[in-house]
Amino acid sequence: MISAKMVSSVTFLYLACAVLYFNYFAFRSEQLGKFATGLSWITLLLHTAAILWRWVESYQLGIGRAPLTNMYESLVFFSWCIALLYLLWERKIKSRIIGAVAMPFAFLFIAFASLAPGIFSDRIDPLIPALQSNWLHAHVITCFLGYAAFAISCGVSIMYLMKIRKKEQGKKESGWTALFPPLEFLDDLIYKTIAVGFPMLTIGIITGAAWANYAWGSYWSWDPKETWSLITWFVYAVFLHARFTREWRGKRAAFISIIGFVAVIFTYFGVNYLLAGLHSYV
Amino acid sequence: MSRNEDKELFPSLWDSLSSLRLTIALLIILSVASIFGTVIPQNASPEEYLEVYKITTYKILRILGFLDMYHAGWFIFLLALLCLNLIACSLKRFRTTLRFLTPELRLDDGQWKTHSPGNKFTQNGLPAQVLPGIRETLVRSFSPPRVVEASPAFHLFAEKGRFSRLGVYFIHLSVLVILGGSLIGSFYGFRGNVNIMEGQEADQVILRNGEHIHFPGFNVSLEKFSVSFYPTGAPKEFKSILTIREGGRKVLTEPILVNHPLTYKGISFYQSTYGLAGVERVILNIKDRESGKEVSLPAMMGNRTEIPGALSAFSLSHFLPDIKGMGPAFQVILSEPNQPQQKFLILQNHPEFEEKRPGRYSFMIKEIEPKYYSGLQVTRDPGVWVVWAGCFIMIAGFYMTFFMSHRRVWIRLTENGAATLIEIAGSSHRDRTGFEKEFQKIRQALNDSPMGLKEVKESEGH
Repeated sequence: MISAKMVSSVTFLYLACAVLYFNYFAFRSEQLGKFATGLSWITLLLHTAAILWRWVESYQLGIGRAPLTNMYESLVFFSWCIALLYLLWERKIKSRIIGAVAMPFAFLFIAFASLAPGIFSDRIDPLIPALQSNWLHAHVITCFLGYAAFAISCGVSIMYLMKIRKKEQGKKESGWTALFPPLEFLDDLIYKTIAVGFPMLTIGIITGAAWANYAWGSYWSWDPKETWSLITWFVYAVFLHARFTREWRGKRAAFISIIGFVAVIFTYFGVNYLLAGLHSYV
Repeated sequence: MSRNEDKELFPSLWDSLSSLRLTIALLIILSVASIFGTVIPQNASPEEYLEVYKITTYKILRILGFLDMYHAGWFIFLLALLCLNLIACSLKRFRTTLRFLTPELRLDDGQWKTHSPGNKFTQNGLPAQVLPGIRETLVRSFSPPRVVEASPAFHLFAEKGRFSRLGVYFIHLSVLVILGGSLIGSFYGFRGNVNIMEGQEADQVILRNGEHIHFPGFNVSLEKFSVSFYPTGAPKEFKSILTIREGGRKVLTEPILVNHPLTYKGISFYQSTYGLAGVERVILNIKDRESGKEVSLPAMMGNRTEIPGALSAFSLSHFLPDIKGMGPAFQVILSEPNQPQQKFLILQNHPEFEEKRPGRYSFMIKEIEPKYYSGLQVTRDPGVWVVWAGCFIMIAGFYMTFFMSHRRVWIRLTENGAATLIEIAGSSHRDRTGFEKEFQKIRQALNDSPMGLKEVKESEGH
């Protein structure tokens, strides 16, 4: 399939983007930064084309469904969401620093899909009855946009913790962490990314509940996938409330944001491979 | 009773209930507990648990309510406590919010200092003459202001997104509404299953606790069930055609599929499972060993079928879906003239048994037309619309909280000799960088207005 080959090429482009952002980060050359941004937009464009082409291919096979319904497709889409959100943010905050943590995530997830074809099949299978619903699109898109925002937030939180650790050790700032933006900037960015991810996750859970109500006659049945999405929601709710208390803000909040992303990853992968439930597709 | 008396009666209770630390603790405890609920299988049978756990472990888990954790008393208690905490925190905070909801028409001198460093202009003319132009500019560049006259000075106040301050209360309220909706569902709703065979009807549903619930004045019959598969073998469609009758009169006939339920009089029917209930019709090849002739005959279960050209007849008395792993089989009762009745089994997948059986006729199964039953999930949930309303409020609350902000602008016009001193101040409770740009636009609009404003530099102003 052509789309699968496109995805493989896009994977290597993401690696190149990540390397460029790392170099920009280390050398702070404006030209390098512009090059990284340019290549990332081109990569995102090709990535979009690959997803659309896969959609076309499903019609050629007489199946005709959106490419959002199995592990392979969801990984490809997850990576797309991360790249898109990051690039939009880059435009908004006019800083390329976060690229060094966002692009590796985009690369990681698409690499997981395309470089391990034995694990996740890239076949286009027709939809089983439970997935034949228009709720699918709204549910998958909002969930993964939320996950993508959380991925970026997790990356920024790691930067925050690295920087504050150096500071607490009382060392003079040197090496990598000296190149990081100021702590307040990072802290603010963690909040802003979660302020996007949290409503998205909420809408994802709500559309999932609405869908479950149509398909199974129950909007909430404490299925492991549902429960884990709620656990994730709780963790980020803790983050948002922690910011209002003195002892929980800053370091602890950054830590919660990382735990939140671990919960996201478990909701996404762990539930499928470690726990049994209704939600066995992705 | 006023809040202060409350405080005296339960000082520590109110303080703990309205503390953010309690919120954080409860959310963490609920998360950790929920993890256990996903690891320990919920609502399984004792046999299933004993396959995984030792008997003592099983008993402990059962006593602690971990086997139906999300409905256990302590879990419900934690949720209730979270609700109380949420209400208490909201009430405590609301007094502060209320202050911002009532327009603060004019700032005192201290507030001017914090809100407006260096935003001063002068214009020729008295404040009353300058006012219309300034007001016009503010309407154009921000929002219509309210004007307070404190002769000869004027105070203008304009704001945007005031109600975004209420976003967080909307979110908190929505949690209560959603939980309330789920309570309504659990008190006034039900969930059960019913299996209906093709051609049969049902007028009640049996719940998991064994309770029977009758459909209010109607019954449901299954006209036809069909299942189709993709070439890969994966299921493509499960379809039940249902008919609703009221007092024997047909009201409607509609197909239901997975993701396409049918709701009638508040009761919803969902396609859930299906299975083989029996046989509708069997096509048999009957060979007369004496004449060598073969006929193909359809036979209904239990009906007497005559073999053409002879005085013999047979009926299919029993259907065995799978006999000792050899596939489907039927018991045949054959009556031939002047002979005792014969009973024997015929197997679809093993015609060789039939070939060995002596007698005039041999029976081969050509085709079995199955008779299905459809398993329907039947629910009534009057709380579901409350839950959706709660979800809607929550999304609106998020929009207000994360994507809107309360921005306020004050302008003060004071007499300054023959001219007017124009001071402007602004504040936003969120997204300060975004507001900074908006504020600069307002300043720019004042500067660009054809009224002949002159900016007063910081050094001149003080």
